[in-house]
Amino acid sequence: MLDAVKNSARARRALLLAPALIFLAVFFVMPLADNSARSFLTEDGGFTLSRYAAFLTDRFYLGVILETLILSAAVTVISVVIAYPVAYVLVRKAGRLSGLIVFLLIAPLLTSIIMRTFGWQVLFARRGLVNQWLVTDLGLLDTPLRWLNTPGLAIAALVHVLVPFAVLSIASVLQGVDRRLEEGALVLGASRIRTFFEVTLPLTVDGIGTGAILVFMIANGSFVTLVLLGGGFQTLPLLIYQQFNTTRDFALASTMSTILLVIALACLWLQLRLLRRQGV
Amino acid sequence: MSNAPSSLILSGIHKKFGSLTAVEDLDLDVAPGTLVSLLGPSGCGKTTTLRMVAGFDAPDSGTIRIRDEDVTPLPPNKRGLGMVFQSYSLFPHRTVAENVAFGLRMMGASRQTQADEVRRMLDMVKLGGREDMYPAQLSGGQQQRVALARALVINPRVLLLDEPLGALDKALRESMQFEIREMQQRLEITTLLVTHDQEEAMSISDEIAVMQDGRILQLGAPNDIYDKPETAFVATFLGTSNLFTGTVTTDGLLRTPAGNLALPAQVPPGREVTLSVRPERIMMGDAAAALPQGLSGRVISASFRGSYAAYRIALDETGVEITSYRQADASLGHTGMSPGDRVPLGWPVDQGVIVTTNENAN
Repeated sequence: MLDAVKNSARARRALLLAPALIFLAVFFVMPLADNSARSFLTEDGGFTLSRYAAFLTDRFYLGVILETLILSAAVTVISVVIAYPVAYVLVRKAGRLSGLIVFLLIAPLLTSIIMRTFGWQVLFARRGLVNQWLVTDLGLLDTPLRWLNTPGLAIAALVHVLVPFAVLSIASVLQGVDRRLEEGALVLGASRIRTFFEVTLPLTVDGIGTGAILVFMIANGSFVTLVLLGGGFQTLPLLIYQQFNTTRDFALASTMSTILLVIALACLWLQLRLLRRQGV
Repeated sequence: MSNAPSSLILSGIHKKFGSLTAVEDLDLDVAPGTLVSLLGPSGCGKTTTLRMVAGFDAPDSGTIRIRDEDVTPLPPNKRGLGMVFQSYSLFPHRTVAENVAFGLRMMGASRQTQADEVRRMLDMVKLGGREDMYPAQLSGGQQQRVALARALVINPRVLLLDEPLGALDKALRESMQFEIREMQQRLEITTLLVTHDQEEAMSISDEIAVMQDGRILQLGAPNDIYDKPETAFVATFLGTSNLFTGTVTTDGLLRTPAGNLALPAQVPPGREVTLSVRPERIMMGDAAAALPQGLSGRVISASFRGSYAAYRIALDETGVEITSYRQADASLGHTGMSPGDRVPLGWPVDQGVIVTTNENAN
């Protein structure tokens, strides 16, 4: 009897989950699996690791992986450094304005990334708004600066897109820090700055961790920003795109996609571990 | 580490939060080495007062002096205080030893001094050997001991206790009360305690300041406040009391809904006052025969409370309800009397206390 009740409850839960699971299986898991499978298959259908062997021993390709990781790391560090003070103000100082700040953080995420990246182009083109200010309006420069296709601008645009993720991750952990812990440190003779480094920062390390991993993961796969703003970076997503569309070497593209996927999965695993430590 | 004379003086403290007055014209003088409690219901301003002493909030006006030094403009870390919070507020990412050593480290004490002092303090609070545990691995009572050790290790000029036992269960609370009191007296440390628990305040304080609506209503030794409350609020907040409010007649009696009652002192006719009589001062049965009130009533409820029994009694004719306690007596059974029993009652006139009616106090 009890088993029957339990079973029917389980059946109902399965039924509710089914549409989402089927959708994910058909449109997410299967294409990914198919794509990865291609990288392991020879032309006549046999199994091979030769593409991975070739890819991972090639100095050029290793360079691309390294460049991807370094770019993502740089974007991550800058994003977290910018995000922490924002999160701090959001949680501790904003009061009734915090709703507005959250809206301002989330609103850009609802805008198409292509639109936002074009925005950067409009601002920083040779005859763009920024150069017009600098040269014509303020007269600070004689000739317009070249912003587009510089590494700095590409990194700035990536940071701009990713900072909200870091802010929200850090803010949610900062929210849970008991203010009385900080007050306890103050009474015991710690200055405000000392209290921050002794108590607040260590207690928000998990938020920094989850935020950083999230930013790193998204930066790793970022494509549109780098295509439109250039910067001379040669990253995995750009290379994959080239292989699919220009070189038409699907097998190599699949190999690189799988490597990117493995990096993303490693990040996800790290993130889950961090979340579990927080007891979520 | 016996303390040099130290004391805490608050004078003319005002504090508003927006339009809400939290503390109004508060003066308080804590004598060296004594423990003073701020006692009152939530929202009475006791916690705000403590936070101003700690330096977390600044008073709108008035000064706070510690050992003859005006600390009003100083930040919390320059006041030389120790503080224990209700939630313990131990640093969860640091071990017991690191928690206790924190204040010493901030003062720049050597590693050796830190280690020695931590061991000495942990021995004192009976937690020797737990140096390397994390707060989450300790029980509530143990965490509170660590918090106490952490506050005392820096030899603070004043110890602040913010509802330190509020999170503990009753039995533990009682034994911790004794422990805190014993340690406070041994170290002769000037202490300000905030609590809403009247039993706690009475059992560990040298003096109690009863607060309501941001003011201190009455300040005095626990037994003075209990025996001689000045207002109806104090009489009922510290313990239980039967209050009879009325107007004084020309022949010196108090005309109340319960009848005309004799007063323990002369009050000019026409004044409105309240007579407060503690439940344990009410006498019942034969003992009440010779008492001047000549009241009698019917027991509505009787409850056994261990060392004593409590009764609600409705007075005949007027129906006014009275609370009365009687020492539990094995020969009378658990409560001695049962609902429905009729009983004469009264109290010796000098056992009543004339207090200000609440309306007048506000």
